[in-house]
Formats: sequence, structure tokens, C-alpha cells
Amino acid sequence: MLSFQSSKNVLSLTEDLLVRIYELLAAESDRKSFRLVCREFRRIDTLTRRHLRVIRIEFLPILLRKYPRLQSLDLSACPRIDDGVVSLLLTRVGPGSNSPILGHWAWGLKSLVLSRATGLRFSGLEMLARACPCLESVDVSYCCGFGDREAAALSSAVGLRELNMDKCLQLTDVGLAKIAVGCSKLEKLSLKWCMEMTDLGIDLLCKKCVDLKYLDVSYLKVTNESLHSIASLLKLEVLGLMACPLIDDVGLQFIERGCPSLKVIDVSRCEGVSSSGLIFVVRGHRNLRELNAGYCLSQELSTALLHQMKNLNHLEVIRIDGARISETSFQVISANCKSLVEIGLSKCLGVTNMGIMRLVSACINLRVLNLTCCHSITDAAISAIAYSCRSLVCLKVESCNMITEKGLCQLGSFCLLLEEIDLTDCCGVNDKGLEYLSRCSELSCLKLGLCTNISNKGLSYICFNCLKIHELDLYRCTGIGDDGLEALSNGCKKLRKLNLSYCNEVSDRGLGYIGRLEELSDLEMRALHKITGVGLEAVAVGCKRLADLDMKHCEKVGDSGFWALAYYSKNLRQINLSYCGISDMALCMVMGNLSRLQEAKLVHLSNCTVEGVELALRACCVRIKKVKLFAPLRFMLSSEILEILHARGCIIRWD
Amino acid sequence: MSSGILEVPKGASFTKFNTQHQQKWEDPSSTSDYSTRIEPPFQAFNQTSQTQSLLLCNNQIKVPMQDGSVNDLLQASKIQDWDPSAMLNNLSFLGQKIHQLQDLVYLIIGRKGQVLGRPDELLVQQQQLVTADLTSIIVQLISTAGGLLPSVKQTLSAATTSLGQCGEFGGVVFPSSAQGLNDGVQPQNAGGSKVSEPPNSVDITSNNGNEQSNHIIEEHELKDEEDAEEGENLLPGTYEILQLEKEEILAPHTHFCTICGKGFKRDANLRMHMRGHGDEYKTPGALAKPTKESSSEPTIIKRYSCPYAGCKRNKDHKKFQPLKTILCVKNHYKRTHCDKSYICSRCNTKKFSVIADLKTHEKHCGKDKWLCSCGTTFSRKDKLFGHITLFQGHTPAIPSDEIKAAPAGTSDGATNKVGSVNFNLSYVSSESEVQSSSMDIKGGIDDAVGYFSPLSFDTCNFGGFHEFPRPPFDDSESSFAFLLSRSCNYSQKSGEE
Repeated sequence: MLSFQSSKNVLSLTEDLLVRIYELLAAESDRKSFRLVCREFRRIDTLTRRHLRVIRIEFLPILLRKYPRLQSLDLSACPRIDDGVVSLLLTRVGPGSNSPILGHWAWGLKSLVLSRATGLRFSGLEMLARACPCLESVDVSYCCGFGDREAAALSSAVGLRELNMDKCLQLTDVGLAKIAVGCSKLEKLSLKWCMEMTDLGIDLLCKKCVDLKYLDVSYLKVTNESLHSIASLLKLEVLGLMACPLIDDVGLQFIERGCPSLKVIDVSRCEGVSSSGLIFVVRGHRNLRELNAGYCLSQELSTALLHQMKNLNHLEVIRIDGARISETSFQVISANCKSLVEIGLSKCLGVTNMGIMRLVSACINLRVLNLTCCHSITDAAISAIAYSCRSLVCLKVESCNMITEKGLCQLGSFCLLLEEIDLTDCCGVNDKGLEYLSRCSELSCLKLGLCTNISNKGLSYICFNCLKIHELDLYRCTGIGDDGLEALSNGCKKLRKLNLSYCNEVSDRGLGYIGRLEELSDLEMRALHKITGVGLEAVAVGCKRLADLDMKHCEKVGDSGFWALAYYSKNLRQINLSYCGISDMALCMVMGNLSRLQEAKLVHLSNCTVEGVELALRACCVRIKKVKLFAPLRFMLSSEILEILHARGCIIRWD
Repeated sequence: MSSGILEVPKGASFTKFNTQHQQKWEDPSSTSDYSTRIEPPFQAFNQTSQTQSLLLCNNQIKVPMQDGSVNDLLQASKIQDWDPSAMLNNLSFLGQKIHQLQDLVYLIIGRKGQVLGRPDELLVQQQQLVTADLTSIIVQLISTAGGLLPSVKQTLSAATTSLGQCGEFGGVVFPSSAQGLNDGVQPQNAGGSKVSEPPNSVDITSNNGNEQSNHIIEEHELKDEEDAEEGENLLPGTYEILQLEKEEILAPHTHFCTICGKGFKRDANLRMHMRGHGDEYKTPGALAKPTKESSSEPTIIKRYSCPYAGCKRNKDHKKFQPLKTILCVKNHYKRTHCDKSYICSRCNTKKFSVIADLKTHEKHCGKDKWLCSCGTTFSRKDKLFGHITLFQGHTPAIPSDEIKAAPAGTSDGATNKVGSVNFNLSYVSSESEVQSSSMDIKGGIDDAVGYFSPLSFDTCNFGGFHEFPRPPFDDSESSFAFLLSRSCNYSQKSGEE
């Protein structure tokens, strides 16, 4: 950051130079610091800002007025947005008032994320589509209420190029037809889990939107007919067919002859697809970059397929999770697919040290390697990987029990670019191993779940050297205690996600350290029997970004902790309070006061009465989206509250 | 062969009708029918049928003589290839057979006198024997007669060989009835119209036994697809073009009773009517469908021209496409060159000129739930999607009743909201200072700078926005604010940086 001693010089910088400096700030937290420096800097921020992700809807009108040059607006964290809010945002505040036309913000908007905005219906969408003439990208994924009329409203955004409609469960072929006819410039479309979709809709889409480059029809009940239509898309580069149960090899034959630009195909978990289907794909597309065929090759990779794969000289990513593979297959792959960057062999049978050695001997550009559950892997293979693949970024070796500190030593020596490593359930990992691993200073994601042999000492090596870590999993690392967390809070300031479940040694002091992690947003701390309200209070006060808190079975936490939670953790979105000793009053406070709360699990609250739960539900019923309750309560709660919850679209799970 | 003869055996008649149903008269598939039709029924004949078969026998024997006059024209050309010696052979063989049969019957008569008390078993057996012999004779006879034909065909066209056989066969069976009924009645209706009528004869023959008369057949049952013959590639000149006048086409009746002058749309109905004029019209022959007396005629294919000048179906048109039958002509002329005077009573929009089309439409009028933005309705989703694929800018329409209900509500709601929000905003601006000082409980939000009280907008938001009755515990920070300020001693600003 700029120092304050030189503030005169900084202020004398011209506006465009300040803008340049501002643009170099990548992290959101840095930009925040920047705009808090002085008014001038804040003005730069408002002038330059292109992207806005709003966390609390109540600030939306003001923020939109402050940032007139927005190109991208992300409202995915404001699921409460509805048609009324939209009409407010787009209308003039009133005749005679001095405020500028609020609708201005929409004129330059190109990208709009409305994911999970279940309250938004066609009238709001239509207003938005009309008000944003430059709109190119819209994300309405997980909008459960998004149906055909909403699609019709959205189709008036004729310039749309990207559209994500994942899990729009109400959408049918008619809605898709509206989109296909209205937005004929579409290049990217995702239709995952739009379960009503049929071949007719896909066929029409392929005829109307001929510019499609990216199409994802994963999980749909479409048949080979759809593939026949899709094959006519000349510009298609990415095709997602994950878990389409009705697609088989015959359909892939169409793909062999069509889609001349195809680069990426995903047929993982397609029950009907076999080796011969993949042969069609591979034979027709020599320039394939990515082939994802996980869990659809139950038998061994056929020699015919291997023979065809020899031609895939540009292949960068291959995932064949769950297949049976032999050493010779590795040899064929490594001999031909030299540009391979990622290989996924999760749960593959027949992965041996020798096979891996052969693979990495030629594929030296590998950056991502997934060996999850390849149990026969030992240090020898890890050493070979480390020695050959110097640019390795991600390594997943979950449940590879034979890996010890020797392997990690090699990784720490050669793979200095490593960012993500999954060592879950590798009981060979110990403090020494972590010391070696800590040499990978780029590490950002580290999973050590079930590694019972590590202690505070090992963790402190990591915390001392790997300052970029933002995700750490210490699930059931019983050797970790408060001292380890102290080291963590001193080193890994960027930590966003932390799992401390069943680390029995952690006490209030440890949580005090956690409270220093300002960036922390996800905290899972199930069954920490030593912690009390004091510890929770420290977390609530310190971790202001906390959005997801799981404290199931933290029985000793008293009401003071929950009061603090209710008071400070205003950004909390999900909470699990099952088996906690929370009282009626505290529950009402938590549920009523946390204005962003969307999901709560409230099972087995031994200190709560039915009236308390009812009151708590009433306090949050306008915003809660999902709640898990003790099953007998179904008949004890008043029907009125259940009806209100239902009417607000809240899903209740009875346990 | 035909229903006219075979009507009697009840069990067999059904299958017969079916086969006939499928068989078009021009259809060259009758060689196979030929054998299947004759043999099985006769085997099964009982006493009553025997008389019929004898009658039939008589008919058949007459055939050559009767046909002779009709076939004059063709006979002339036939003669060239005809082998008379082979024919003579066949005939003498047949004569022999008949003599044998004659002897057998004499024998039976003689024995009948002797053994009167005998049970009928033997008699039945003998009858069957006679029947079998007769059957074989008939077969022989027909094949002999049929033998005349191939020679004819070869001179004309190889393709219609079997067709000719069929035609001959028809001619063999029906001559008497055809002549009796058709003579003055349907002058213009010589061959073409019958093509479309096979179902008729089915109806008639089956009704015959039940004494059920005046069964009028709806015209639309037989609705002909004009387009069906679209793909037909007849070389010009290989067929005869007939052109009916407009008045003829539009005339309500085409068949008239020679006795009382009553008009009928169909020949079959006329035949039913004729029964009332005397017993001579009740014979199976008279009631049978008059087929082309035309063992010969099928060789000349008839096609029809539309009298409307400039029509593609008019023979003077450059790309003339002939119509196949008279019914085609009628339907085509009405559909294309007449007013659409039949309006659907349900939707009051669709109009038709052919009543059969209206009836077809009415069957599923209102069931069309797939609607295009252009107003066209479809009964099937795939048809709608096909239409949308074809036409630029058309989209499926979403049922309007839902839309009507919804936007009214929401727009009202929206205006209401705006109104209340306006009020609240002004409230915010005036009071924001007070609020931020008194209860400043905003969290550290990266985007929201600390200038705006979260409280103020939240209140306005829920005061104005939500459509549900305000529950006792509303979502606003203030709900519990009083509790907090009293019972908790957290420093209000401790969370802020």
C-alpha cells in the first residue's frame, strides 16, 4: 500500500496514474484499503470500478448510484432481490428530487449475475432486459422459479452471448425456444439440470443459435436425437454431456461426423457410453484438447481406443476416473499425448508406480494430477512426478497411504509452483513431511484431513512459509491444538476456509486466534468440546466475513457466544446449530438478527422449547430459504408459521 | 375376385373384405389374391353356399360371351399372340372334367333313391366331393381365361401385366350386375370414380344379409388425399385426360335412379335404393359393386384435369399435374377455387370449403394447445417446433391466461412499492445521521462503504416490498435492537476498522 508519509506526492499524481495504480490492485481487500485512504482515492474507485458484487441488498440503490460505470454486477449474494427492487432500481426516484436517474447504471451493464435470485420473476427480468441494452452475459442459475415466462422476458435481451440457466427447474422447451429465437447470437449456454428439456428444444436451439461455442446439457434426459442436432453446430468448441443417461455410442457417432471445431467434450458418468463411443469421438476430432470420460469406462481402456488416442497430439486434459488402466496404456499416452497438462486417474484400478513413472517420463508439462484412491502409489511415484513435472500446480493423492515424508521432500524440492495438494487420509504424512512441503510457498489449498500424525509443530512450518494459504482442512487432526492455531493466525492471514472439526484439543484460546483471521468466511468446527461462549464470541467479533458456520455438537457454548454471533456476524448465510445448548432467547436473537441468514440447521436443540423455535422461525421467516428441523416439531409448530415459510419459498427438511 | 360372390360364407367374408379393402383396383397385387380367394372358401362351403356357388358357376361360364362385346377393341389386338390350340386343349380338358362330375351326380341321385333311410353323413361327404371338383373346374376355367391376357399385356406395357389379370378377373365376376345398373346411370363415371369406392362395396355386401338398407356413407370417410398422387410420374400421353365441367363437379348428385329420377351421391346408395323398385334389383349380382366391365380398360389410365384455367391441375398448365380420381377433382376444385363457406362453430375462425375438412377440424378444434406467436395453433409440440424452425422470428406463445393474471398483480405491486419506497427514501436521507449514531450495527462489508446506514434501507425495503402480511417478527435489524442496546454491552464500534 502507499505510505502516508508520501501522501503529498501521491495526491499530486494525476488521475490517470492513480487509475493505473488502482487497476494493478487485484485483491478485493486491497482495493478496499485503497478507497478508504481519502476522498480522492474513493473518487478514483467510483470512476474506475467495473465490477460490483453486492453482499447486502439494502445498499444496492446507493451503490449503483455511486458506481455509474459498472459493466458487471453480481447479485448472487442477494437472493432476496425481487421484481419490486428491480423496478425501484430502474425508476427515477421522484419528480423534483435531486437524485439522478437511477436507471443510468444499467446502460453500460454487460454482465449480470442473478444466480439464486428466486424472487425475481418475469416482470423484473423484462425490466432488466429492457433497461440494459448492452447486456451480453446473464446468469440465472439456481433460480428455481425461472420458467418459460421468465425466459420469454429475458429473450428481449437480443445481444445476449452468454447465458447460464443451470437448475432452472421450471424451464421447458418453450422457454428455450423463446431464448433461442430471441437471442440468436448466443455463444455460451448452460442448461444443466433443466430437467424438462427434451430433444425438441435442443434441436430448435441448434438450428437457431448457430454461433454456439459452448453448450452444456449435462444431466438432461436428452437422447441421441439431440446429439444429431448438436453435431450440426459448426462453431461448437465445448460440449458438456455429463451424466446424460439416454445418450450412447450411436449418438457419439453423430459427433464424430459433426462439430468440426470441437475441442472439449465431457461424457463422464454417461451410463450408455463405452470405449467404442469414445473411439468415434476421438477418431473424428484429432484436435481435441480435453476429454472427460470419468466413470463411463468400467472395463479396461480398449486397445482400439488407445490406438486412436495416438492421434490426439494436442490433448491437454484427460480424465478417465474409475477406469481400469494398465502400464502399457500409460506408455501409449505418454508417448503420444506430450502436451498433456492435466490427467485425472481418480479411483482408477491398476495405477502403479511403474505406470506413473512411464506417464511422467514424457508428460513433463503436467500441472494437475489426480490420483485419489490410487492406493498402490508410493513415494517412488511421487518422486518421479516431482522430478519430471516441475510445473505441477495441483496434486490430489487422497487416501494414498503409502506416501511418507520422502515423497513430500521431493515435492518440496522440485514442485515449487504447487498450489493445491490433497493429502486427506494419508497417514504417512507427519510433521517432517509438512516441513518439506512448506517449501512450496505458493500453496493456497492444503487438505490434511484424517492425518493423525501431524501436530502443532508441523502446522507451524506450513504457517510460517505458506502465506498464501486460503483453504485449510484439518478435519480430525487430533494432534492440532491452540498453538497450531496461533501459528496459523500469525502466518496465513488470507485464510478463507478452515475445517477444525473434531480437533478435540482446540479451546477458547485457539478460537481467539481464529478471530484474528479477518478473511475467514467458512468455518467448520464440529464437536469442539472445550470451547465455550467466549471462544465463539471471539470468532464472531473477529471474523467479520464469516458466512458459513458449522458448530454442530459444540455443547458447551453458552448463550453469551450466540448473542455475540447474533450481534456481529451480520454476513452469516448458513449456520448449523444442531446439538448445541442454545436457549430460546438466544435462538430468537440469532435467527432474527442475522439479516443475511438463508440456511439453518436446528436439530436436537436440547435447551429450546417449541415456542422458542416457533418464535425464532417467525423472526427469520421472510428471508430464510432452507431450514432443517427436528421431525416431531412438524406437528407441534403452528400451521401458520409453516404456511408462511412455505409461501416464502422456504424448504423445510425434517430430521 | 370380389365380395359380390363371396358374400355368403360368413366366416370367410370378413377376411375377404379386408383384403379387398387393401387392394386398390389398379393395384397390381392380385395374382396372389387370386389363389387365396378361390380355394379356401369353397372348401368350407355348406349346403346353402353350394347353390350360390352353382350360381356363380353359371355366371362365370357366361362370362366369355358377355365380355366378348365389351372387349371388342382389345380382342382385336389380342388375337395376334393368342394360341388357340392351347386354349382348345384346356377347354377339352375342362369338358372331360364336367362330364366326370355329371356322372358322379347321376350316381348320387341313383343311390339316393335306394337308401332312403341312411343318415345324411354320406350325402354331406358327396356334396363336399362335388364341391371340390367344381372348385377345381372353376380354377381351371379362370386360369384358361386368364391365359388370354398376358399376351394382350405384352403388346401394351409389361408393367401392368398383373393388373390386367385383376381387371379381367373383375370382369369375369361382375358383368351382369355392372350392365344392369350402370348403363344409364353414370355415364361420366365409367372407371375413375370407382377407384375410390372399394369400401362401399364392403358396406353393401355386409349389410345385404342383414336387410339393413339405406346405409348412407358419409363422403368424408373416403376423403381422398389430393396430394397422395403428387409423386406420381406418368409420362404425358400415357394416360387419358378427362376434364369435367364446373357444374358437373359442383353437382350435389352424380347417380340418378333410372326409374324415379332420384339423385344420389354414391352409386352404392343408389343400388340400395334400387331394391325398392323390384326383386330383380335384389340379386347379389345386381347389388354387387359394378366394377369396370373392363378386363380391358385398365390398360388406359385415366387422369383428370381441373377446368379452372391457370390452375396447376389444368391440362393447359405448363407443369400440369393431373388429378387421380373424380373425388380428387371435386375436393381440389372446392378447396382451391371455391369460397370457404363452412365455418367452424367452435373457434369461428377456421373456414373450409369441403365439409369433410370442417369435420376433421372440428374433431380436434380447441385441442390445439401449442400456439405460435403468429397465432397458428398446433395439436402437437413437435409440429409447433417444426413451424418455429421454419419461420424466422416466430416463437412459441405462452398461454395468455396465466400472463393476464400475473402482470396485473405485479405491476400494481410494483407501483405500490415504488410509492412507499419513495417515501422511505426521503425518510432515510433525513434521518440517516441520527440512526447511524444511535445504533450503528453494520458489518464490515467490502462493497458497502460505511456511509449508509443498513438499517434505514432495510426498514424501507420490508415496509414497501414484501407482499406477505408482516409477521410479528419482521426482518429488520431493529427487531431486537432494543434488546441489544440494553442487555449487551458490546461496544458498538468494536467490529469496525
